Order: sequence, then C-alpha cells, then structure tokens
Amino acid sequence: MDMLSEVLDLFLSLDNFLAIALGVVIGVVVGSIPGLTATMAVALALPFTFSMQPVAAILLLVGIYKGGMYGGSITAILIRTPGSPASACTLLDGYPMAQQGHAKKALKTALYSSVIADFISNIALIFFAAYLAKIALNFGAPEFFWLICFSLTIIISLASGSMIKGLLAALMGILLSLVGLDEVYGSQRLTFGNYNLMDSISFIPLLIGLFAIPEIIEFYRKKALPHLKAKASGVGMTLVELKRCLKSIIRGSLIGVLIGAIPGTGATAAAFISYSDARRRSPNRDNFGKGELEGVAAAEAGNNGVAGATLIPLLSLGIPGDVITAIILGAFMVHGLTPGPIMFQENLTLIYALFIGIMFSSLVLLVVGSGAIKYFSLIADIPKAILFPIVLMFCVYGAYAVNNDTFDVWLMLGFGVLGYIFNRAAIPAAPFLIGFILGPMFEDNLRRSLLIGHNDLAIFVRGPITWFFIALTLGSMLLALYRYVTSRRQPSTSDTTQETP
Amino acid sequence: MSTSFPKRIRALRDPGDVLAGCMLLAASAVLLFYLIPNYIGEPPILQNPMMSPRWLPRIVGWLMLGFSCLLIVQGLLVDSTDKEDGRRIEKGPRLRFAMMVVALVVYVGLFEALGAVISGILATLILFAAHPVRTWWVYGLAFVFPAAVTFLFVKIMNVPLPLMPF
Repeated sequence: MDMLSEVLDLFLSLDNFLAIALGVVIGVVVGSIPGLTATMAVALALPFTFSMQPVAAILLLVGIYKGGMYGGSITAILIRTPGSPASACTLLDGYPMAQQGHAKKALKTALYSSVIADFISNIALIFFAAYLAKIALNFGAPEFFWLICFSLTIIISLASGSMIKGLLAALMGILLSLVGLDEVYGSQRLTFGNYNLMDSISFIPLLIGLFAIPEIIEFYRKKALPHLKAKASGVGMTLVELKRCLKSIIRGSLIGVLIGAIPGTGATAAAFISYSDARRRSPNRDNFGKGELEGVAAAEAGNNGVAGATLIPLLSLGIPGDVITAIILGAFMVHGLTPGPIMFQENLTLIYALFIGIMFSSLVLLVVGSGAIKYFSLIADIPKAILFPIVLMFCVYGAYAVNNDTFDVWLMLGFGVLGYIFNRAAIPAAPFLIGFILGPMFEDNLRRSLLIGHNDLAIFVRGPITWFFIALTLGSMLLALYRYVTSRRQPSTSDTTQETP
Repeated sequence: MSTSFPKRIRALRDPGDVLAGCMLLAASAVLLFYLIPNYIGEPPILQNPMMSPRWLPRIVGWLMLGFSCLLIVQGLLVDSTDKEDGRRIEKGPRLRFAMMVVALVVYVGLFEALGAVISGILATLILFAAHPVRTWWVYGLAFVFPAAVTFLFVKIMNVPLPLMPF
C-alpha cells in the first residue's frame, strides 16, 4: 500500500502529464515532417530535460518516441514520403488509399493500429522487464561482459547496409568513448592535453551532431526540391473495418514486441515482417499494395509494437535496443540513474511511475493523433527551408547548454560533419552510437572480471549464464556472416539473370 | 588507351568503398603507431596487460585496420554503387552550401562574442537567404525565434546562454 501511494505521489504531478502530452505532440509533429525524425527530436529535447524531474524527463522523451513512430505514417500516407524509415511500409497501401480519396480512413487506421500496438507493447514491457531484471540480478561482471559483447554483435549483424561498415562504425564509437581519463589508472587517453576532453566526450553534442546536423548539411548541399502539399480527405474508419483488421493488428503488435525486445532489430524490420505476415494470411491478399486497409493496419501495428518493447532490455539490463533508447539511456544517466537490474531494487517506485506514464502515453497518442489528422495540413505545409534554420538554432543552443562552453558547439559540428561523411559513405550511424555507449561498459566489466578472477581468464567461462551469452554472441556473428554472404549472392544472381538472354 | 580505361574502372568496382577503406586504414594506422604510443599514458606497473589503458584502444585499432582492409577488398570486388543507400545526391548551387557554412561559422565563432540572440538572428537570416526563402514575412521569424528560444533557455530552463555582447 505504501508502495502504491509512493508511486502515485511520484506520478500524479502536473509536470508528468504535461511532459507526456508535450512529448507526444512534438513526436507527432516532428515525425510527420519528412526529413525530421523522432531520433532528431529526442536528441534535441534532451538538453531541455536537464532542469526536469527524472520521471517527467524520461516521459517527455518516451512521448516523443511514441508520437514520432505514429507521426511518420502521416506523410507516408498523404504525400508518399515516410516521415521515418519505419513508416516506409505504411505507404505501400496508405498512399494508394489516399489517391483513391480514402486518406482519412488510412490515417485513422494507422492511428488505431498504432495505439493498440503501443498498448500491447506497453503491457509486454511491464510484464517482461521486471522478470528479466530479476534474472539479471544473478549477473556478475563476466556475464555483463558477454551480454555487452552479444548486444554489440547483434546490433551490428542486424544493422542495415554493409556489415563491415557497421563494424567499423561500432569500433569508431568504442574508440571515441575511451577518450578522457582512464577510470582505473587516471592516465589521459587521447585528450591531447585539452581539459574539455578529460571528462570524456559529451554525449549530447555527439548525439545532436550525429543525427540532426547531417540532415541540415544535406538539405543545403542538395538541389532544392519543390515543397509538396498534403491534404487529409475522405471518411474515417468504421467499427466493422476495425474488427476486420483486428487480427492483423494483434499479430503485428506481437511481432513488434518480439522484434523490439531484441536489441538492434528496430521498427522497420517489424513493420515489413508484420505486413508480409498479414498479406500471407489475408483473404484480400491480392489487394495488398493497391490500397488495402489491412496492409496499413499491419504495417503500423508492427512499427508501433516495437516502441514499448525496446525499453525492455534498456530498463531490465541497461542495454539500449536502438538509437532512441540509447538517447533515453543518456537521459537516465544525466539524472544520475543507471537502468538495469539494480534500478529495479533501488528505484522501484520510479520504474512503476514510468510504467504508468508510458501506459498513459498510449491514451494521449490517441487524442493527439486524432487532432493531428484534422490539423495536419497546417504542419505539413511548413517548408524545410523555414524549419531547418530553426532546428539548427535548437542544436546550437542545446549543445552549448551542456557545459556552457562553445567547445561543445564545435564538438557538435565536428560530429555533424562526421555524420554527413557517414551518410555519403553509407556507414550506419546507429552502431557508432551503440558502440559509444557500450564501449565504457565493455571495458569496465572486462576489468572488473579480471580483478574478480585475479587475472585468470577462466572467469569469462565460469558458468551457464556466460556460456549462454557466448553461444548467443557466436550465433549473432554467424548470423552476420550468413547475412553478408546471402546479400552478396543476391546481386550476383540478379546480375547473371540480367546478362542471360 | 581506350581499352585500358574500362579495365581500370572494372578493377575498382566501388570507388566509394575503396576510398572510405583507404581513409579508415590510414586513420587506424595513425591511431596504432602514433596516437596510442604518444597520447595514452601507461602506468609503470601492470598486473595484467589487459588492464592497461592502451589495451582496448589497441584492439580497436587493429580491428579497424583489419576491417578497413576488408572494405577495400569489398570495394575492389563487389559493386554496391547501384544500391539505394543514400550515397548519391543531386548537388545544389555551391553558394547555397557556402552560405550554410557561413551560418555555422557565425554560430561557433560569434556565439559568445555577439550573444545567443544576435548570432541566432544572423545565422537564421543567412540560412533563409541561402535557400532562398521568398516570403518576406518569414524573415520576421528570424528575429522572433532566436529571442523566444533564448528566453526559453535562460528564463525557464535556467541555462545561462550568453545573451548580448554588452
């Protein structure tokens, strides 16, 4: 009873409600503007959370995440431009529906599917995170060392694009995370005598630089494209149609939950798997790709089912599943909290307050989403030429706010240029960020293991949990190798078929 | 001449990957043979070489060296240039890009000297002109937004941004 009142005390504050509402609104707005991603919005919002209470800060970021996941579908449906990569699947049927004059129906379907999937995902988070955290209490430094190895390898093996480039990006991330004073010996590592680097590279300038600045640089480097106007017209979704899509929504949500709980997989994969599953099972499978309501529902359910589930490894193990959860992990750290099994023991009230907030965010998404459909034309009509200068201003102010030093602005621009080079060379930025976050954890657990084991390497294979994670690590490396080989075979096969007369 | 040129092109299936690989190879070599020995201090006594502050950077450096070689090999053997991976962009006017660079320089160079509001106004005006934005009232936003956002940071979030040069 005491616990319940403590949780309610913590959650029932105006700040938390405002944070959720504001977060979802920002997420939907940003997600619905092509070129602005939820990742960018979460990164830019992070400096704003410095002065907030931890619960409100995390809920604001989670709200942006969830809003952004749905918001991406709006432009995908209306102007065939997905606001986020995960919404690319939604446009397959959403845009044909809009062309047929059923834009509002497609948008409503996307909204209801998103909300249902989000709710199911939250339930999974609440049930599984605590359970997983309980198991993780048995982990020592060697177990965490292998868990981090597994997380790094699975993220790289499942990252989009070239595996070699993913690995290189992760290695660069790990390397940069090591800049600063060595925690054990206190010796300087790659600081070049600069006192700003002694406390390691600041996370926020890196984040803003890597995810917001390259978009701005690319916009001004590219030829200006005409601004597309959007219009939501037609009638909404009926209850009968919702019932018809419900099975696909639930299946898609479960697919999203399963995929989201595995670090590194992401919403895009979930949306496409859910879509293809719905297509395979649907009696209207021939209509998929031509404006099928079930197609929109399945894609959005898969996409949003990931949102809550990606928080499972974050909260229970302290391992971020994707870029946004990596940023949320940063927010926890900014507020002096370390997600993981210990947090379930020491800050249980905070965890439960977060769970309530996350559940509440689904409801807010429903309300905000309905409004977004109605007033979307206004948001979509803001051209990037006006938006990006304002975004850049937020980037600079946000980076400066970290330490009140222009050095962080330089750092942000440096990472912005790096991010732009990554884009030009098709090197994925996500493994870089995950490497940057997991690098210090990797080294810390390695050293602690060596100290515990008195420098005996046998400590790394001390029991079934370590064996399990070693097997998973090897499995993910084999998976990466398999993906690499199959991806290399596919183009060569197509080449030969093209050449064959 | 005419026959040797296509052969050379064929030998370099993906010049972008080869270039990226070469740059990373050079960077990892600099890291391994110059930066780690000179810029990472090592304590005189170590219980285990794996505890050394140089151990992980060295491992990372060698792995980077190996994978950049693999990337070069991949670029030499596999053609990924037709993939839709965002590498190719249709470039716009150079002036537009140059003006964006000027706006960035204004931010980093004049942020503390001119203050957040003035540097924000200046950079936003440059960016609006760079596109160029042809709606006159939008230029008004370049004055309103920096002032409003600075107010938000300073008064609501208590972040001491440099306000004015005086």
